Amino acid sequence: MTALITLEGVNKHYGDYHALRDIDLTINEGEFFSLLGPSGCGKTTLLRTIAGFESVSSGLVAIGGKDMAGVPANLRPTNMVFQSYAIFPHLTVAENVAFGLRKRGDLNKAAKQTLVEDALDMVGLDGYGKRAAHALSGGQRQRVALARALILKPKVLLLDEPLSALDKKMREQMQVELMRLQRHVGITFILVTHDQEEALVMSDRIAVMFEGRIGQLADAETLYRRPRNRQVAEFIGKMNFLHADVQAVRDAIDLEVQGLGRLQITAEQSPELRDTGPAVVGIRPETLGILFDGETTDRKLVDGVVDEVVYYGDMTYYDVRIQGVEAPLNIAMKNMIGRPVLDVGAATKVIWDERALVLLK
Amino acid sequence: MSLRVYAIAYLIFLYAPIALLPIFAFNDATIIAFPLSGFTTDWFGELWTNTSLHTAVRNSVFIAVMTAIISTLLGICAARAGAMAHFPLKAGIMGFIMLPLVLPEIIVAVSLLVVVVQIFDLGLSNWTIIAAHTLICTPFCIAILNGAFQNLDPSMEEAAMDLGESRFGAFRSVTLPLVMPGIISSMLIAFTISLDEFIIAFFLSGVSPTMPVYIWGLLRFPASLPVVMALGTILVALSIILLTIAEILRRRGMARAGVADKGGFL
Repeated sequence: MTALITLEGVNKHYGDYHALRDIDLTINEGEFFSLLGPSGCGKTTLLRTIAGFESVSSGLVAIGGKDMAGVPANLRPTNMVFQSYAIFPHLTVAENVAFGLRKRGDLNKAAKQTLVEDALDMVGLDGYGKRAAHALSGGQRQRVALARALILKPKVLLLDEPLSALDKKMREQMQVELMRLQRHVGITFILVTHDQEEALVMSDRIAVMFEGRIGQLADAETLYRRPRNRQVAEFIGKMNFLHADVQAVRDAIDLEVQGLGRLQITAEQSPELRDTGPAVVGIRPETLGILFDGETTDRKLVDGVVDEVVYYGDMTYYDVRIQGVEAPLNIAMKNMIGRPVLDVGAATKVIWDERALVLLK
Repeated sequence: MSLRVYAIAYLIFLYAPIALLPIFAFNDATIIAFPLSGFTTDWFGELWTNTSLHTAVRNSVFIAVMTAIISTLLGICAARAGAMAHFPLKAGIMGFIMLPLVLPEIIVAVSLLVVVVQIFDLGLSNWTIIAAHTLICTPFCIAILNGAFQNLDPSMEEAAMDLGESRFGAFRSVTLPLVMPGIISSMLIAFTISLDEFIIAFFLSGVSPTMPVYIWGLLRFPASLPVVMALGTILVALSIILLTIAEILRRRGMARAGVADKGGFL
């Protein structure tokens, strides 16, 4: 894998506001990379910095080995799909897609037309060229924006919350299409999103950002299974947190966990923490279980009482109180044949496994 | 019901005097009074032969065209800054440049006369009137162009730059076509305001008067009143046509930009 974009010590100030803090980042060629975070975390600023719409206060931005300082957006090998799509309403679909080809003197009219048709074909809009741009639906606008950006064969395609304006069904469909498109064209995609599911589904690697800093940079599975700290763990998916006391750190880690007692985990389950003392343990809801009547398990059990039941059709989410823990444990159970949906107040047994724990800073 | 009567009475009160203009412009008598004494187009014919009137009209049209161009250019700068740029005291500054909209024209006229003649010691000419008309027309232009610019997605220009256009190229190829109806509408309104403005032109005109000032001069001679009526008829027709074109263009612009019409200047 070759590095395509390098950011070193990038800072951005708006007056007193520190939007980006010491960002170090390398994005590879052909990678689907996501910048994920809550609103105001600096992810869009970072994207606009790469695109050339924002200058950096300090630090280096390089694309393809070239320092981009002072290079305006129109001369960078990047193209962007804007959150509002920014389709030019006074032009037709074909004219929109051909917009970036205006400066290409080396192409004649016929060659440009072929490129436009190919681009429209690629995003599934063949035959839409003559339509007026302002008459398109949200999903179609997005496809035009994609075709318009990709026709220039940029080294990087920047996507600023491209799916946030679409409804849920359309969004899921476009997720798959974007992934397929990225594999097809083979260029680097950088996606900005606040939707953790979107980032997990689509990306090769994800940078989770908080308050202008990168909280964790990892692939989807690592991010989900081994979050570095509580902030990342809370932002990605659902997580139960239990207070713990780290007693010994050797090859394995000995700890006393509130409600679960003394146990041992592997060093791999603690991505960051190597010190003894108070800590927090995280457990995902789907790694816990409820022991239904007639079922058996060789895993560990703890007594609990059902506090809340949320029925989702394919899944049921239970909040179960166990002795010695203030907050109830959130447990996700698949609804299967022979498994009843428990009532609030029912006494039950919670199945747990220390292999599913992650020790957090 | 009473509201409807009020509305109708209001409209009659507003427009009936204007309706008198064409009636007496075609009336075959020098005295402006009912009953009408016959149909004639002589008064319009007299307009053709009156060379001092022609000079006055030429002055007015020149002043109005220049005013329309300059105040619209200034309006574009202000409206674009207002819609897209962020700077300290923005609200205050935007309010301050709209102020000439409510300043009494007589005060503007007198103070400009003092500035031009006493302070700068310049002669009065069409250009002094153009400067003053630009001052009073620019707020109108800003008001019209604000609407055009505020409906623009700020990502639009960035998208054009992202696709290879320079900053100016992006403005020219994307922003300008989208606000063009607003620009034309702004020029037409500035033109109309300037064309029939009297007070400032009266104070600041040099040896050769503008059309409204010339008409005012004619009023001292009762015999020429029907000619004034004829001229007035043409002006009213022209104003209505120009303002209608301006509004049509504004609406077409809104439709083209694909945004909901939130009520225009008219």
